[in-house]
Amino acid sequence: MGLMELAWIIPASSFFAFVGIIAFGRRIPFVSPMLSIGAIIVGCILVFVVVMGRIDADPTGIDFFSRKWFEVGGTELMLGMIIDPLSIVMLGLVCFVSLMVQVYSLSYMRHDPKLAWYYAIHALFAASMILVVLADNFLLFYVAWELVGLCSYLLIGFWWEKREPVEAAKKAFITTRIADVALLVGILLLFHEVGTFSMKETFYQAQLLGAGEVSELSSGTTMIATFLLFIGAMGKSAQIPFHVWLPDAMAGPTPVSALIHAATMVVAGVYLVARTFALFEAVPNVLLVVSIVGLVTSLLASTMALVNTDLKRILAYSTISHLGLMMLSLGAFGYTAAIFHLVAHGFSKALLFLGAGSVSHASNQTDIRKMGGFIKVMPITAITFGIGALSLGGIPIFAGFWSKDEILIAVFNHRNFLFLIGTLFVGFLSALYMARAFYLVFFGDLKNENKSVSESPILMTAPLILLAIPSLLFGFSVFGSDEGYGGIGRFIFFENAHDFHFNVLLGSISVILAVVAFGISKPLYITRKFDLNRIKKYFSGLIRICERGYYFDQVYEWFFDRIVLVSSRFIAWLDRAVVNDVGVNGPANSMGWTASKLRLHVTGKVYNYALVMVLGSMIIGSVWWIMVAG
Amino acid sequence: MITLVHFQIVSAALFSIGLYGVMARRSAILILMSIELMLNAVNINLVAVASFLDPDRFAGIIITIFVITVAAAEVGLALAIVLRLFRNRATINVDNMDLMKW
Repeated sequence: MGLMELAWIIPASSFFAFVGIIAFGRRIPFVSPMLSIGAIIVGCILVFVVVMGRIDADPTGIDFFSRKWFEVGGTELMLGMIIDPLSIVMLGLVCFVSLMVQVYSLSYMRHDPKLAWYYAIHALFAASMILVVLADNFLLFYVAWELVGLCSYLLIGFWWEKREPVEAAKKAFITTRIADVALLVGILLLFHEVGTFSMKETFYQAQLLGAGEVSELSSGTTMIATFLLFIGAMGKSAQIPFHVWLPDAMAGPTPVSALIHAATMVVAGVYLVARTFALFEAVPNVLLVVSIVGLVTSLLASTMALVNTDLKRILAYSTISHLGLMMLSLGAFGYTAAIFHLVAHGFSKALLFLGAGSVSHASNQTDIRKMGGFIKVMPITAITFGIGALSLGGIPIFAGFWSKDEILIAVFNHRNFLFLIGTLFVGFLSALYMARAFYLVFFGDLKNENKSVSESPILMTAPLILLAIPSLLFGFSVFGSDEGYGGIGRFIFFENAHDFHFNVLLGSISVILAVVAFGISKPLYITRKFDLNRIKKYFSGLIRICERGYYFDQVYEWFFDRIVLVSSRFIAWLDRAVVNDVGVNGPANSMGWTASKLRLHVTGKVYNYALVMVLGSMIIGSVWWIMVAG
Repeated sequence: MITLVHFQIVSAALFSIGLYGVMARRSAILILMSIELMLNAVNINLVAVASFLDPDRFAGIIITIFVITVAAAEVGLALAIVLRLFRNRATINVDNMDLMKW
C-alpha cells in the first residue's frame, strides 16, 4: 500500500518542473531540459516503485487513494488515483516514451531559441497525461484531459511564426474540443444519476445495471452517457469523423508527434474506453458502435497511409489506423488485446516517429519520393526504423505481431466474419504501407542531393535504440513464466483472466499476409519488377479519393462555409438587429424620445411655474379639506 | 356689525387680485406689486383672526409686523434682481426671462 501511494509524486514532479522552467528557464537556458528530464527520470523510477507496491499487494488488484479536494453543495469532490494494472502499464509507457522523446529533443531542438518553452510544455504535458492515467474520478480526469488537449495545442503550434502549424494547432484544438463537449455532457449525465464523480462508485452501479440488479443508473441514460464518453474518446483518439486534426498536426516538431500523436495523447481515448469498460459492458450496443467506428477508421486511414508521400503523414494515418484497431478490439471485448496493442504500438510508433525525425533532421525533408538509399548513410536509424516498421507490420516475434494476433482472436470470438476480414485486410495494408515507407526511404539509390546526409548524433540514436528494444521484445510478455507472472492476459484483463492461445489458422493467415506485403514491396517500389504506373492508372480514381483523404476536409469546409458561417451570419444579424437595436438601444432610445417630449413642459416662464404652484397648493388644500377637516 | 367673515372676504379678495396679478402681468415690477398685495391679504387675515380669537394678546399682531418687515426686505432683494436683469437685458418683461429651464 505504502509504495503505491507514492504515485502522486510522478505527475507532481513534472508539474513542478513546469513551474520551475517558467520561473527560471529564460534566465538560465540549460535549466529547462535538466528540470524536465530530471522530473521524468524521477517519474520513471517511481513507476518501478509503484509496480513493486502493486506486485507486493495483489498484482491484478485495484486500489483507490483519495483525498478530499473541495466540497460544493453537499457533494464532496475528491482528488485521487487509481492504481491497477491498466494505469501502471500506461504509466510505464507514458514515462518511458516521454523520457526518450525529451532526451531526443535535446539534440533535435538544440538550436531552437524557444527551448525553455518547449521543455516547459513537455513537462506540463507529461504531468497532465500521467494525471489522466491516474485520475480516479471523472472530474479530475476531465481537468487532466483538457490540460492534455491544451498542451497538444501548444506543442503543435510550437513554431507559431509559421502559418501552417498555427492552423494545424487550431484545427486540432477545435476538433478535439467539439468531442470534449460530448465527453463533459456524458460525465455530467453519469454524475446526475450516480451522484458522485467517483469512478469506483460509477463502475459499481454499472456492474449492478449489467447484472440486471437495482442500480442508480438507468439503462437509457447509461447508453447515452456511454456513447457520449465514446465521442470524447473518438476526438482524442482521432477516430473518423474526428480524425482530420491528426495528419495536420504533423506540422509540429517531430519529437512532439512521437510523444503526443503516437504513444500518449491519442491513446488517451482508448484508455478512456478501457477505463470505463464497466459502463460499456453494461450497454453492449455501444460496444458494437465502438467496433464499427474502429474498423471503419482503421480501413480508411490505412488506405490513406498507403498513397501518401509525406513520411510523417504516413505515420500519422498509420496511427489513426492502429487506434482504430484498438477501438475495434475494445468493441469486440478484446480488453487485453487493445491495451497490449496500445503499448506495442506506442513503442513502435514513437520509434518510427523519432526515426522519421532523424531522417528529416538529416535531410531537411519529409517527402519520401525525394529520399532513398539512406541505409548506407544512417544505418542505426535505418535498422531501428526497420524494427518499428516490422513490428507495426505484424511480422512474427516483433511486438506488433502478438498484439495484432490478440486483436484478431478477440474479433474472431465476438464479432462476425466481415469484421474479421476487415481486420485482416487492415493488417495487410498496415504491413504494406510500412514496407513502402521503409523501402522508399532507406533502399534504392542514394540521390545526389542527399549525398551529404549523415547519421544523427548519439543523443538522437540512443532513444531510437532504447525504443527498438521493447518494439522487438515486448511481444514476449504474452507468455507467462513459472513464477507468478502468467502472461499479459493474466495481468491486464477485464473480469476474466485468460491465457494466451495462438489460433493457428488466423495466425498463419495474418503472418502470410504480412510477409507477402513486405515481400511484394521491394519489387513493387524499389526494383520496379512490376509496372507501378499501370497499377496506379488502373486504380486512379480510388487513389485520388484516398489522396484527398476521402474528402473529409472538403466536406467539413463546405459544411463550415455554407452552413455554419451562413447561420452565424444570420445570428450576427439577429444580434445586431434584435438584441442590440431593439433590446439594448431600444429602451435607451424610447427613454430619450419620451424625455424630449416631456421636457417641453419646462417652459422657463415665471407665470407657468406660479400657476403650477397655485394649482398644486389648491389640490393639497382640497385634499386636506376632504380627508382631514371634512 | 363687522364680523370675522367680512375681514376674511376682504382678505380673500385681495389675495385673489394679487394672484391674478402674478399670473397675468408680464412686467416684473407689477408681479412684485401683486405679491405685495397677496402678502397684505395674509396680514389682514392674521390680524383679524388674532384679535377675534384672543383680543387681549398681541401675538398675531406682532407676527404681522414681522411679515411686513420680511416682505420689505424681500422686495428690496427682488428689486435689486430686477435691476440687474434690466441692466443686462434692457427689459423687465418676464416672458424674455426663461432661463429657468433645460
